[in-house]
Amino acid sequence: MASYLSAANAVQAKNGQLALPIHSSEGDVTIPVSFSHGNNPNPHADDIDHGVTRATYERGFSPYEFNGGTTLAISGPDYAVVAADTRLSSGYEILSRDVTKLHALTEKCVLGSAGCKTDVDQLRSVLDIKMKIYAHNHRKPMSTPSVAQMLSNTLYYKRFFPYYAFNVLAGVDAEGKGAVYSYDAIGSFERTPFSASGSGQSFLIPLMDNVIAHKNRCDEKRDLPSEEVVEIVKDAFVTAGERDIYTGDAVEIMVITKEGIKKEIFKLKAD
Amino acid sequence: RKLFALPFIARLLLISLSSNHPKYHSKRSIHTVLEQRIIISIITIFTTPLLLLHLIMSFSLAAGGSTTRASIPGTNTANPAAPGNQRTTRPIVTGTSVIGIKYAGGVMLAADTLASYGSMAKYKNANRLVSINPKTLIGGGGEYSDFQALTTLLRKAALEDRCTADSLYEEDGSEECAREVWNYIRAVMYNRRNKMNPLWNDVVVAGFAQDKDGSTGEPFLGLVDKIGTAYGDDVLATGFGSYLALPILREKYRGDLEEGEARALLEDCMRVLFYRDCRASNRIQIAKVTKEEGVLISDPYELDTSWDSASFVTPKGEIEGDGGW
Repeated sequence: MASYLSAANAVQAKNGQLALPIHSSEGDVTIPVSFSHGNNPNPHADDIDHGVTRATYERGFSPYEFNGGTTLAISGPDYAVVAADTRLSSGYEILSRDVTKLHALTEKCVLGSAGCKTDVDQLRSVLDIKMKIYAHNHRKPMSTPSVAQMLSNTLYYKRFFPYYAFNVLAGVDAEGKGAVYSYDAIGSFERTPFSASGSGQSFLIPLMDNVIAHKNRCDEKRDLPSEEVVEIVKDAFVTAGERDIYTGDAVEIMVITKEGIKKEIFKLKAD
Repeated sequence: RKLFALPFIARLLLISLSSNHPKYHSKRSIHTVLEQRIIISIITIFTTPLLLLHLIMSFSLAAGGSTTRASIPGTNTANPAAPGNQRTTRPIVTGTSVIGIKYAGGVMLAADTLASYGSMAKYKNANRLVSINPKTLIGGGGEYSDFQALTTLLRKAALEDRCTADSLYEEDGSEECAREVWNYIRAVMYNRRNKMNPLWNDVVVAGFAQDKDGSTGEPFLGLVDKIGTAYGDDVLATGFGSYLALPILREKYRGDLEEGEARALLEDCMRVLFYRDCRASNRIQIAKVTKEEGVLISDPYELDTSWDSASFVTPKGEIEGDGGW
């Protein structure tokens, strides 16, 4: 073809595909072509640098950002322990070393969330408002299994633009037994003996399987008192902080019993 | 848009229903002229706020464009820039870092006065530190027009607070404290990001956090980014400052810094940023918030710089040549 214009004029439609006629000694053939301009998936692919020197922000705006962090919750016969680190990250940067991931919803129920902080903050505000309305309507605070169901519904409400929040809910139920619920981002939930979520969950869950759920062990399973579980939690976060870059600085540990919530802060490595 | 027609339709209906033709002056016609006017005015009063609200909301900053769900901009790939639906895809005129530090008397912010147009240093006298009310100071990096729009919105809210306060003469009490402004900015940013049309800014808020009893409390320094991530700390920085200045500030921060020390520290950080951030300038402004005097923003001034450091004089690259490759 002599020029782009003559090629564009010679384009024929064959079997629903654009094609150029090529004359050769063996006969006439049509070669499929595409002259896509406007809907080019990579508009800078033809640039001499393949779009590499374009600033990162031009590749599109994402409403989500992973701010890192790990949460862990363990239930016992009459208590629940929930812990989360206090580091807020963005990419390879530490934005703050002292930001809490735990939020007490009632005297008996604490929500720990890792993920995108702005969505977590919004989720907390929405839940707080719903809990207030419930307390006004029913003249009592919400019980932990009800909070669990409500959180699931709230998350599913945003099924098609989810809250990027990985939650664990810990508390004591109406009988005073420890209750821990684990969630995914769109509200699927289950009551479990323990739960870990966030960037360090892969380091914590296998450890918990052995120590708390007593899997693959030959010795007798025994009920652990809350003080011992707190020590296990501290060790677990030291482990996770060692290998996960988003976990570190400090762990906030809350022990929930039917008397109330006790808080403790345990410092971790700041690297 | 169709709601606009409502008062007129109502008026037409009433006129047609209650004609003044003598034949209709019977028990069927119950509308005197006065009652007719009352009913029209009632309908207009009820619908006008809705109309005004609809009008205001579709043009307001917080709404971020059209409020109708059906026309989410950008999802119509055949014509992404459909008329009336524009959204932010990249910042055009940008400000670089803002840095902030708490000290013994209050909070101090620093920023340069440059707004860049890509790699061009276009606006060399741009104010990036702005006071919202006599007690709150904000600094913005990122898209400068979005920062100006946010400032306008916040100042409008502050004016409304002043005008609707219990007393026009009392200074304290009616103004929003820095923590409230920070929360409000977070809500605005989150709302805009939900519409996929963010205000492309990182905003630093400086001031005091009011106690429950209304007295001015602890110094407050907070940051909100373009998707609404909001956090507070003793030292903060946006943009390049978070890489170059924040480590210096974290290292040298003490709880009992005096004003002179805090200022020297911020100036040192701005100098480092000028040396190494190619979108920064050495013409800076410093601003502080104190309990007694409120917000004070300095005039812009130029930092002294020294270019005789070894790595500037003898580049690590080729000895002859300009050090480039």
